[in-house]
Amino acid sequence: MEFFLQNVVNALQWGSFYALIALGYSMVYGVLLLFNFAHGDIFMVGAYVGFFVATGLLLLVSSLGLVSMPGWVVLVLVILVAMFITAFVGVAVERIGYRPLRQAPRASAAITGLMIGIIFETGNLALLGARRLSFPELIETTTYTIGGVTVTNKRIMIVAVSLLLMFALHQFVQRTKWGMAMRAMAYDFAVVPLMGVPLNSIAALTFGLGSALAAAAGILFGVAYPVLSPYMGIVVGWKAFVAAILGGRGSILGAALAGFLLGFIEIFVATIFPSTLRDLIAFSIILLILVFRPHGFFGEAHTSRLRL
Amino acid sequence: MTILRVEHMTHYFGGLRAVNNYNLTVDPGQIRGLIGPNGAGKSTVFNLITGLYTPTEGTILLDGEDIVGRPPYQIADMGLGRTFQNLQLWRHMTVLEHVKMARYSKITYGLVGAFFATPRRVREEAEIKAKAYSLLELVGVGHLAEQNVTNLPYGALRRVEMARALATEPKILFLDEPTAGMNPEELVQMMEIIRKVHRELNLAIFLIEHRMKFVMELCDIVQTLVFGEVIAEGPPDYIQNDPQVIEAYLGTEVET
Amino acid sequence: MTAINSKLSTGKKDVSLFLQKLWEPFSVSPMLGWLIGVLIAVLLEYTVGLYVARMLGLPKIPVLFGVLIMLETPILFPSAVLYVLIIFIIPIALIARFTAPLTNTLAGKLIDVQPWLAVLVHLGLFYAALHLWAEINDYRVLVVRLTLISIILTLSLNVVNGYMGEFSCSHPGFMALGAYGASVFTLFLFVDDRTFGEALLPAQLGFLMFPLGLVFGGAIAALGALIIAIPSFRTRGDYLAIISLAFMFIVKSLIENLEFVGGPRGLGGQPDWANLPTVFAWTVICIWVTNNFVKSTFGKALNAVRDDEVAADAMTVNTRQTKMVAFLFAAFWAGVAGGLFAHVLRYVNPGSFGLQKLAEILAMLYFGGLNSVVGSIVGAVSFNLVSEALRPLEILKWIIIPVIFILVMIFRPTGLIAFTELNVINIIRPKNKAAVPQNVEVSQ
Repeated sequence: MEFFLQNVVNALQWGSFYALIALGYSMVYGVLLLFNFAHGDIFMVGAYVGFFVATGLLLLVSSLGLVSMPGWVVLVLVILVAMFITAFVGVAVERIGYRPLRQAPRASAAITGLMIGIIFETGNLALLGARRLSFPELIETTTYTIGGVTVTNKRIMIVAVSLLLMFALHQFVQRTKWGMAMRAMAYDFAVVPLMGVPLNSIAALTFGLGSALAAAAGILFGVAYPVLSPYMGIVVGWKAFVAAILGGRGSILGAALAGFLLGFIEIFVATIFPSTLRDLIAFSIILLILVFRPHGFFGEAHTSRLRL
Repeated sequence: MTILRVEHMTHYFGGLRAVNNYNLTVDPGQIRGLIGPNGAGKSTVFNLITGLYTPTEGTILLDGEDIVGRPPYQIADMGLGRTFQNLQLWRHMTVLEHVKMARYSKITYGLVGAFFATPRRVREEAEIKAKAYSLLELVGVGHLAEQNVTNLPYGALRRVEMARALATEPKILFLDEPTAGMNPEELVQMMEIIRKVHRELNLAIFLIEHRMKFVMELCDIVQTLVFGEVIAEGPPDYIQNDPQVIEAYLGTEVET
Repeated sequence: MTAINSKLSTGKKDVSLFLQKLWEPFSVSPMLGWLIGVLIAVLLEYTVGLYVARMLGLPKIPVLFGVLIMLETPILFPSAVLYVLIIFIIPIALIARFTAPLTNTLAGKLIDVQPWLAVLVHLGLFYAALHLWAEINDYRVLVVRLTLISIILTLSLNVVNGYMGEFSCSHPGFMALGAYGASVFTLFLFVDDRTFGEALLPAQLGFLMFPLGLVFGGAIAALGALIIAIPSFRTRGDYLAIISLAFMFIVKSLIENLEFVGGPRGLGGQPDWANLPTVFAWTVICIWVTNNFVKSTFGKALNAVRDDEVAADAMTVNTRQTKMVAFLFAAFWAGVAGGLFAHVLRYVNPGSFGLQKLAEILAMLYFGGLNSVVGSIVGAVSFNLVSEALRPLEILKWIIIPVIFILVMIFRPTGLIAFTELNVINIIRPKNKAAVPQNVEVSQ
């Protein structure tokens, strides 16, 4: 039982990353009916932006002699600033890679997305070199043991911040005018521009929001696993993409839940079986789910075809 | 000897009864019509018989063979050709390729021929091509054979669909609103083509149509479908004067 | 603004007019003439290339027409250009132009005798030139072989992603299955090695049996493709893309966990049987079979399924059979390509069949063009050449290549040469005015 609970805690943390990234994929799909394949790398960019903001902030704090600023305040600031900056990266990706291809086949947009991702990875490598950066330790780790289950304050913080962000996104989409426009777009792509809602603004907003969430995921990832690398976004990104599909395209709730589900599958597979089998079993389960539940958990049953 | 016999066909979508106790017999050489207001279930009837949906209850006999539950391509191969209400053409293919495609199930050269261009494949493809040209000539679009379908006007596309359906060698032809979206001139031409096809190939035809004039001129027997049920069946002038039909259909939506 | 635009467009017009004028004298040269010219140019390089290079101050023969030199030591660039002019461009142009009357008659006669004979003669000439060119150094041989393998990969992916309009991501997986299948076949039967013990059959027999090994690898890949083909009956689009992506991850991590093929360390020691003629022959066969397939009514059924599946079904097309054939066909050729790949590098590991490979194959396909055999060839060749040419830039290469792709996607979203049919006779027919009737068809 303790063993089980311990893994639930681990899986919640692991799933938070997937869920936050999957939301970005899902929102973009909802609005534009295509996937942003650069999203995994935006997660990476977010982590690096977070790194620089954090280092800069720490430097500023120490040079001004404001030693009294607590670590969690710095972390919150870092998250907010990095989210803000990365949102603009997302908007730029949309502007350069997706807007010119609005009328093109979906597969072409997929290719541009992939290519932008490669540019991010290589650009990072070219600018920063192959050295591995290590995310600064903003808050000290405190470990609590509750009934045999070990929980660190970082873990609690990661899950809490993720849930908070998801809640905020939900409120935004449900309550605001812009969120309503996004939902309307997901409902009928063709009609909304006719109603006077500018498609381009909505698309940019969606990319921005998704990228901001990915940046938050990147920083939280950096807090949990401090070593950053230009290729850190690839595998995590593709897996989150799978989660977005599992959750049903365009469904925000579905993407979040599927992100956590994927985290659970991976953590439990890794604890029960040798860790080398993790991908094998996790993806076999995903394949089986998709074969027998071909439209995910929350997606509506309509088959789309590639527009050629 | 009937070509098509549908007995007691009923179909539910979820809990909704879309078609109720539908019966139909079509004899060789007959032209039968199906009319009814929008949403009456006409297209559902078509899709049930052609195998796109499997009816909840009922039997469908095509040339004496039960076809319920068979996939559409087998039903088509057994002699049921069809056109679609909204043109369903393949946007990257030429007119000729459309008609050749409908010969798919009649090809005998197999994958070996497809991969290695055997003499048999070359010969067979040439035969299909000749056949396709003759059908295109029959409906009057032979000169457009090499054109891509996206370049053609609407009326021509309707004819291409007709030629394509004919290439499956149907015993009975299903036409789903063959004149939808046509102007009066095109309508008259389409009527001519249907007559010609009917005459030259001695086909049985079953058609859905909105325009009364068209139905009244072409059909031997007409059924009226309202809310999934046939409320009247008979020769055109009988249908035209049936009070139930007038109330349910003609009274609300007169089109000529 | 408009003035600049019009100036620009007249400038563009001038350039194209100039190119047209330049090309005009050569428009009468048939493919046969060009090939003879290329062959002679390559012979020239083979015999006096080194001498000419030294005279121009180049340390050695420029391996890739001077593009590498251009980026490595720009000062030598004029010499490289001169070299290419002297050895290649001028001889080829002269021969193609002045033998035109002769080659036109010859090409016409050949086609009249037997169209397939004419095709074989052209292929023979092309291969002779390619072989001689590649002979100069090992680097060229390697680049040519890998490029040819890329052609097979791209073409086979085009069958599913282009002709049938799915977005399959499973190709690295099929390739891995083929690579490991063929490697196990050759290592187990013909090679003494640590993994599989002594050879069961004499190694001399091995080379003759190598095609069998490749077919075996292809068959295993095709078997694996059933996992994608069967769900494709019910699912299309994004979900199938994910199923195929999951398949790719599964194959990769399955091989990582199979100790008897070396696990993550990989499998090495494959015999050097995938030499240039072998790879060339398989590539030609692949192009020929694929071109036959996509032109047949069975192949056109892929387009019908892509553009309107319901209509295809109603026109007697067995859609399940069509999808099954497409997936198995594509997987088979990806497997063959994998087998060749393993025997060219003589070492494979699961890491080579991951997301990077996928991005590479997708890039080649969408760059070259969907639904087009020529497009796939062009895509694979240009991707490999550009990628080799930019090698001196090291890391920047992976910024320039993506930028090129993004531009191609923005300006030609379906790729450079999409939706065209490859008509071999049209390429090799005589180009003079008294040409033979154009509708002679070799494979209908």
